[in-house]
Amino acid sequence: MQNAKDSFYMALRTRLTEINPQRTILVRGAVRPGILVEEAEAPFSQFPSDVFVLRWLCLAVDMNLDSTMTGEQCEIVYQTCGTQSFGGLDRGRALSAMDEELMAMIQPFYTPKLNYAATPPAAMLTRVFWDEPVFSPIVTQRDRLSRSATVLVYSYEEQGE
Amino acid sequence: MSDTAPRNPSGAPQMLADALLRSASGTTALLRVTGTNTDTSMSEVGLVATTFADVPVSPVLMRKLRPTWQENGESKWELLVSATSVEQQINTLDLPSAQSLFAMTLAVTVAGQDYLIESIASNEAFGQVYLYRLLLREARQQAV
Repeated sequence: MQNAKDSFYMALRTRLTEINPQRTILVRGAVRPGILVEEAEAPFSQFPSDVFVLRWLCLAVDMNLDSTMTGEQCEIVYQTCGTQSFGGLDRGRALSAMDEELMAMIQPFYTPKLNYAATPPAAMLTRVFWDEPVFSPIVTQRDRLSRSATVLVYSYEEQGE
Repeated sequence: MSDTAPRNPSGAPQMLADALLRSASGTTALLRVTGTNTDTSMSEVGLVATTFADVPVSPVLMRKLRPTWQENGESKWELLVSATSVEQQINTLDLPSAQSLFAMTLAVTVAGQDYLIESIASNEAFGQVYLYRLLLREARQQAV
């Protein structure tokens, strides 16, 4: 399951660098693409703005198959306050831009499964695949607009996992 | 009407704050900061044991806040940190600002107990920060 989660994150991260290389974040002294996994970072008292935060939620397992299939729910949370040069008046447009980036990142709906615990990452036999994102309504908190999208990520368990 | 009269920078507020912190049984806090990541893909998915360093700041003073916080029942504290000490560590680590130091901080250790930073505020006088106030929450026990 962990390999599927890692592969999903790395696929979105790689795609984001191509879609919008300017979307970056400074984390632990390193400039990275503007996407991160909540559970792999220091706890946030408040989510960072203008980046995508992946949060893993539910887990379902289907054992009535030749290979066990797992489905994990991933919530992708993002928020923005707009830009300084527009005094935040462009926050709606900034959120729409993030919506579009997310839709572009999600496609195609599959990626090869890799084991990132190995160096270099080792390719596995199956793919990780997911369905279309379900977007939540926008939440407005004063000057901040936030939204989340939920994706179900499926993978087959392989030997040794 | 704003006061635009020029004033010479003075270290008096910082010295006074340090003296007050020391006299009120000030102690030492350790900021656990992370090193810069070199292997991005592995550290981004929680695979690499990032290098940590404990950065001491002193004098500091802890005070417990009134228990209005409910989430999971952890106590909340306020840590008053000497700006002089923070400045020294910023220079030592060659960082641009105090914000970047606190942004790198994973946890604050005081008397063996770990705390997580909830928010940061600072007090200024004559345009100079003389005290940082960190709102802390007790961290839960991590596996060894």
